Amino acid sequence: MDVSAQVIWQGVINGLALGWIYVLMALGLTLIFGIMHIMQFAHGEIYMLGAYVVYYLTASFRLPLVLAAILGMVCMAAAGLFLERVLFRQLKGDWLAAVVAALGLTLILQSGAVVVFGLYERSIPVLAQGPLNFMGTVVPKDRGVAVVVAVILSLALYVFLKTTKYGQAMVASAQNPEGAILQGIGPDKMAALCMAIGCALASAGGTLAGSLFALSPYMGLSPLVKGCTIIVLGGMGSLPGALIAGMILGLIDGLVPILFGHAWAAIGPLLVVILVLVIKPQGLFGHE
Amino acid sequence: MSRKTINKIWGWAAIALAAIAAPLVLGSIYWTSVLTTIVINVLLAVSLRTIFLIGEFSLGHVGFMCLGAYASSLLSMKAGAPFGLSLFAGALMAGLVALGLGYPFMRVKGIYFVILTVMASESFRNLAMNWEDLTGGFGGLVGIPAPGMLNIPFLGEVDFGGFNEYYYLTLTVVAFSLFLIHRLERSRLGFTWLAIRETDKQAAAVGINVLRYKVINFSIACFFAGLGGALLAHSEQTISPQAGSAFGVMTTMYLLIYMVVGGKSRFTGPVCGAVVLSLVMEFTRPMQEYQPMIVGAIAIAVVLFFPEGLVSIPEKIGTWFSTASETTAEAPVKGSAHKG
Amino acid sequence: MGFLEIRRLTKFFGGLTAVMELDMDVGQGRIVGLIGPNGAGKSTVLNMIGGTLMPSKGEVIFDGVEVTKLPSHRRAHLGIARVFQENLLFNGFTVLENVLVGFHLKSKKGLSSSLIKTRSTRAEEETLREKALETLAFVGLTEYSHELAINLPHGRQRLLSLAIALATQPKLILLDEPVTGMNAEEVENMLSMIRALRDEKGVTCIIIEHNLKAVMGLCERITVLNFGTKIAEGTPGEIVENPVVIEAYLGTEEDVT
Repeated sequence: MDVSAQVIWQGVINGLALGWIYVLMALGLTLIFGIMHIMQFAHGEIYMLGAYVVYYLTASFRLPLVLAAILGMVCMAAAGLFLERVLFRQLKGDWLAAVVAALGLTLILQSGAVVVFGLYERSIPVLAQGPLNFMGTVVPKDRGVAVVVAVILSLALYVFLKTTKYGQAMVASAQNPEGAILQGIGPDKMAALCMAIGCALASAGGTLAGSLFALSPYMGLSPLVKGCTIIVLGGMGSLPGALIAGMILGLIDGLVPILFGHAWAAIGPLLVVILVLVIKPQGLFGHE
Repeated sequence: MSRKTINKIWGWAAIALAAIAAPLVLGSIYWTSVLTTIVINVLLAVSLRTIFLIGEFSLGHVGFMCLGAYASSLLSMKAGAPFGLSLFAGALMAGLVALGLGYPFMRVKGIYFVILTVMASESFRNLAMNWEDLTGGFGGLVGIPAPGMLNIPFLGEVDFGGFNEYYYLTLTVVAFSLFLIHRLERSRLGFTWLAIRETDKQAAAVGINVLRYKVINFSIACFFAGLGGALLAHSEQTISPQAGSAFGVMTTMYLLIYMVVGGKSRFTGPVCGAVVLSLVMEFTRPMQEYQPMIVGAIAIAVVLFFPEGLVSIPEKIGTWFSTASETTAEAPVKGSAHKG
Repeated sequence: MGFLEIRRLTKFFGGLTAVMELDMDVGQGRIVGLIGPNGAGKSTVLNMIGGTLMPSKGEVIFDGVEVTKLPSHRRAHLGIARVFQENLLFNGFTVLENVLVGFHLKSKKGLSSSLIKTRSTRAEEETLREKALETLAFVGLTEYSHELAINLPHGRQRLLSLAIALATQPKLILLDEPVTGMNAEEVENMLSMIRALRDEKGVTCIIIEHNLKAVMGLCERITVLNFGTKIAEGTPGEIVENPVVIEAYLGTEEDVT
């Protein structure tokens, strides 16, 4: 293969950046799907809206990127709370209805975005300028920054889950749905909290993607699918599973197109998932 | 025959009559091609519901449509195969791939299965976009041949490339498919599927190989999805693998919405949903950007207020009237396993 | 050598040992009880015999065949039937249809006959229907044949569970709490039915029950579990006197006699 080391390392760092963005989606989805069983299929649209909010804050209001990003996360968390309260709580019993409602929501939000924002691509200001020396070759610095940001957010989530009362209740909920109630926290509060955190993470992911790549009203679909794939691959409700699976998928997306071409990149993840499911149907870290 | 059965037969006869007369009444090529698409949507929505019989559903139906469409088109274009053979081969291809994927996929349930179907579907579409040599890549396929001339008794030489002729051909194929699916649903096989949906643990305990039955169900449903895709390809005579096209995720979302809005518990549900919503989409064509919003809003409204779908409305009105007039109301019976 | 042999059966759930090195033999045509305080691992053992759970270690040998790793539907083919604790019924189906599902194994027709109803298919359907009605008669549910399973009162639902299990014409039935939640009359009815199964059809039964009076009256042999291990085994008479058993139950709300 006559691909230079430079290109390969770029593929790796691209893959890592992509992977960590997917991980942010997957962590949110694990909280929402895996723990609270809310069928929030419109999660990709939260990702997309988060990116657009940040775009407008930086472009029209000239806010610095970091501030805008944080506001974006808060804004999407609030949106998540609203959706949980108004829509998903009504449909708790019937998950097919919840999925259809989420699909309806996706259609509304996507087409709404097209109408309001238009179809042409925009971009959020870069995270960092210039090149970075990585493993002896040169790669764009912003990819590295994206990875760092994502890692920090993931660590923050980890700390939250391990040390706070609410966090521990969430972990207990994953293994045993009654666990949270035993800790004195009602399921509705838990659902609201999971949604808020999950949407904040999605918003962060969207912001990173919008900066590294570009924004479009349809940008949410692919990360949603990737996020869901990560959950299946890593194991439902497993956070370390989400991390590892996210890395694997990210690296596949980063490297396979370079090494084997886009056709293989298209079905690569599918083949990996099939392989894992055949050997271990619960996913890499799943329970029986 | 019971009163109910007679009513049903009249109902289907009326629908059949309307379907046959429609292009002649509407009398334009534009409408005929719209009707063709509606008929294909009916097949797709009904086959999607088949998967629901085992208690799962698929958001990847579009991927199998895609397989069927490409397989059929490529066979016609590159191998010069006759239309009927390509059509069947396309559907078979979709069914066989579903058979292969079914075994790993059916080991997971509920929302996780749905996720896998989406993954598979997007993978197929991406593959079609990127496998330049075979599928024409990003631009898709153009110039897919229409079916040719055929000698039909009583009618003489018929050119099925014409819009009206193709409509009737599609109608016949779809009608026959619906008949098959309906029969399967009512058979021992369908009964076993419903048992699996109720409780697969108990089904396994009485000796039912749950995995095998689920996979068979999935293959059959995807076979018909492939058939629908192939019919669509030969109708439009082009296929595009791009995200916004008929083979993108939007379509799969719409199909599920057709099924649930129409009514997932009955065979007629997706038929109703597909027809009504396709017409809604047709009439909102001038406001194209708002189309998805309208469909989305309808979906949410139905799900919140009419969970059993549009087909349950006449029954609800009937119950409301009979309780209002204080006759012995027929309690909303869930009925036995075999429902109309 | 027994009809059902369990050797060193063990199950770990993560860090928890649910069942540890269980050895058990059940003779053909016997009614055997499996008792113990809550959480002793009884249901886990039954699940491993029935095939809904795979053991971590050990073997299950049924009628000379090793079934340890077989999925539950294959065990049904070999003659093992279940009555589940949580009363798994096909709720949306009628009582008759529920039993008809149970006759799945006896239905020889395949996919093609599903599409076209030939005369032999019709004949077979008729035969199965008759057999289903016979089974319902045996458990005394004939008059409820066309009632929806979900509408039945609890006691009758248990009888329906039994009927479904009987439809598979099993050699061994695993009953998980068959009489829990029933009144005295229903309990007596169920017990005499289980005895009839053994006497008339030679069916072997393994029963988990908390209603110890019923167990003592019905079972020929009883195995007692506590914390996943066997602490005693013997006739009802022996078990009731056994100090280890009595101690295991003290401090729980079980009613020993």
